[in-house]
Amino acid sequence: MEFKNEVIALLAEICQDDVVKENPDIDLFTSGLLDSFGTVELLVQAEERFNILIPITEFDRESWNTPNNIANLLADRR
Amino acid sequence: MRILNTIRELAQIQPETLAYISPSSEISYSELWRQSEQVADFLLNQDLQKQSPILVYGHMEASMLVSFIGSVKSGHPYIPVDTSIPSERVINIINSARLELVINCSGHEMDIDNSSISVVTLEDILLGQPLEIQVDPKNWVESQDNFYIIYTSGSTGNPKGVQISAANLESFVDWMIADFPINGPFRFLNQAPYSFDLSVMDLYPALVSGGTLFAITKEMIARPKLLFEALYVSNTQIWTSTPSFVQMCLMDPSFNEELLPNLSVFLFCGEILPVGICRQLFERFPKAKIFNTYGPTEATVAVTSIEVTVEMLNSYPYLPIGKPKEDTQILFLDENGNEVSTGENGEMVIVGPSVSKGYFGQQELTERAFSQYNEHLAYRTGDAGYQNQEGLIFYKGRIDFQIKLHGYRMELEEIEFHIAKSKFVKAAAVIPVFQNEKIDYLEAVIIPDNHDFEKEYQLTGAIKKELGEFLPAYMIPRKFSYHKELPITANGKLDRKTIKEMMRT
Repeated sequence: MEFKNEVIALLAEICQDDVVKENPDIDLFTSGLLDSFGTVELLVQAEERFNILIPITEFDRESWNTPNNIANLLADRR
Repeated sequence: MRILNTIRELAQIQPETLAYISPSSEISYSELWRQSEQVADFLLNQDLQKQSPILVYGHMEASMLVSFIGSVKSGHPYIPVDTSIPSERVINIINSARLELVINCSGHEMDIDNSSISVVTLEDILLGQPLEIQVDPKNWVESQDNFYIIYTSGSTGNPKGVQISAANLESFVDWMIADFPINGPFRFLNQAPYSFDLSVMDLYPALVSGGTLFAITKEMIARPKLLFEALYVSNTQIWTSTPSFVQMCLMDPSFNEELLPNLSVFLFCGEILPVGICRQLFERFPKAKIFNTYGPTEATVAVTSIEVTVEMLNSYPYLPIGKPKEDTQILFLDENGNEVSTGENGEMVIVGPSVSKGYFGQQELTERAFSQYNEHLAYRTGDAGYQNQEGLIFYKGRIDFQIKLHGYRMELEEIEFHIAKSKFVKAAAVIPVFQNEKIDYLEAVIIPDNHDFEKEYQLTGAIKKELGEFLPAYMIPRKFSYHKELPITANGKLDRKTIKEMMRT
C-alpha cells in the first residue's frame, strides 16, 4: 500500500494535479494530464526513486493509463 | 523554380524510387510528380483568387505532399495544418487568411462550418482529372511568390501566418545541401508534423537530393513500441528532430547503432541542444555526426549551424548555435538599435535572402518585426545572444514572452488570452516553470470567477476542456493554481514578474 501511495504521489507531482489522488482510476492520457513528455519524466523518476527500469518500448497508453494501473505495473517490476 | 525542376528531373531519372513512406501510404517520385500535376490542373480550373493560399489538412499522409507540390505548381502557396490543431483554430486561420479551398488529407470529416470555403479530398481531385496532364511551368510559384505559409502562435490570441517565398526556401535548401553531409540519395526521418517548420528541414533537402522520407506518426509517439518497430525498419540515415524527441528515444537502451546501423547525421533544431544528449548520442552512435542549428520560422527554418564535437562537449557548458549561413548576416543590437561589441549580449537580427516578407495580411505585426537592411530584409528575432571571438554564436534566451516548450514555439500572452475568456476566470497569468535552465512545464495562475465546482481539480478540468477547443494540447498549461488576488502592474495587467517571484518562495 505504501508503495502505491508513493507512485500516486509521484504522479501528482508530474501531472501537477491532485486529481490523481482523489481519483486514482482517472485516465491520465484522455484527460490530458499526461503526454509523451510526462511519460518520459515518469520513467526517469521510476528509475531514480524506485530503481525500476522500464524501457520506453514497454510503455503503452492502454495499460499504463490510470494511477492505479501504473502503480500495479510498477509494483510487478520491483 | 529550381526545387520543382529538380523534382521533375528525378521523377524521370528514378521514377520508381520512393519519395515518401508513411504507415498509411507510400509514393514514388513519378507518382508524386504525376498526381501533383493533376492537383495543379484542378486548382487552375477552380477560379480561385490569384496566389490565394490552399490549406492542406492532415497528419503525415503522402497525399499531403502531393497537395503541397500541386499547390505551388498552380501558383498557390499552401498552409500545412496538422490534425493536432483544434478546429476552432483551423477556422480562425481560414477566416483570417480568407481562404477559398481546403484539401483534406486526414481521411476524416473536418469539423468546420463555413459555407464560403470548399473542402475537397485528394481522391475527389484525382478522380475528376485526366491521368496524364502537364501544367505549364509558367504557372509555378517563382522568386518572391509565397511557397508556403506556416501559422505560429501570436501574442494577440490569434495565430499569425509566416510567409515563406520560393526564393526564401531556395536559399535554405541550397545551404542544407551544400553545408551538411546529406546529399545522398539518403533515407530521411520525418518526425515533425507539417505545421511545424522543422519538417521543412527534412522534406525539401530529401526531395531535391533524390532521397526518401520515412514518416513518424503521432500514433507511434503515443505507443513507443510501434515507434521503435518503425525505426527498426526505417533504415534512417539522416535524422532530423527536436532534442526533446531524441531524448525520449534515448530512454530506451535499444536506441543505438544496432537499431539504426546506417545513421550518419543527426540534425537538431527547435530548442536548446543539451550537452548530455550529445554525449549519449556519441556513445550510442559512434559513427554519426551531430549538427546543432538555430533559426526562427520567419527566416525559413534555420540560419546558423555547427557540427558538435566531443571536444566541444568538454569545453562548453552550453553548446553554441554556430555560425550564420554564407548568404546571411546576424546583427546583435542593444535596446537603442546599436550594434554591441563582440562577446556582449544583444538582440539577434537576421539579415539575408531567407528572411520572410512578413505575416500574411498583418501589416502592423510585420512592420514591428521586419525591416529593410541594405539590399535584404531583416527580422528582429526577439532572441538574445552573443558572438565570441571565434565568431561562434551563443543563444541566451528570449527578450519577450515567447517561449519554447519541447520544441513548440508559443506566446504566453496567447494562452492567457484564451484562459481569460473562460467564464470561470477573472484574471490569469501563465508562468513557465524552469528546471535546470529548461522550461519543464507551464503553470496557469488564476483568480477564479464564481463557480459551482466542489474541488479545484474539477474547475481545472472545466477550464482545460474549454482551452482544448482553441489551443493545441502542447499549449495547455500542466498546472493550474487558484488565488484570491494577484499582484498587478501600474497599467492594470497581472504582474507576471512578481507572480513568478511569489511562486518561487
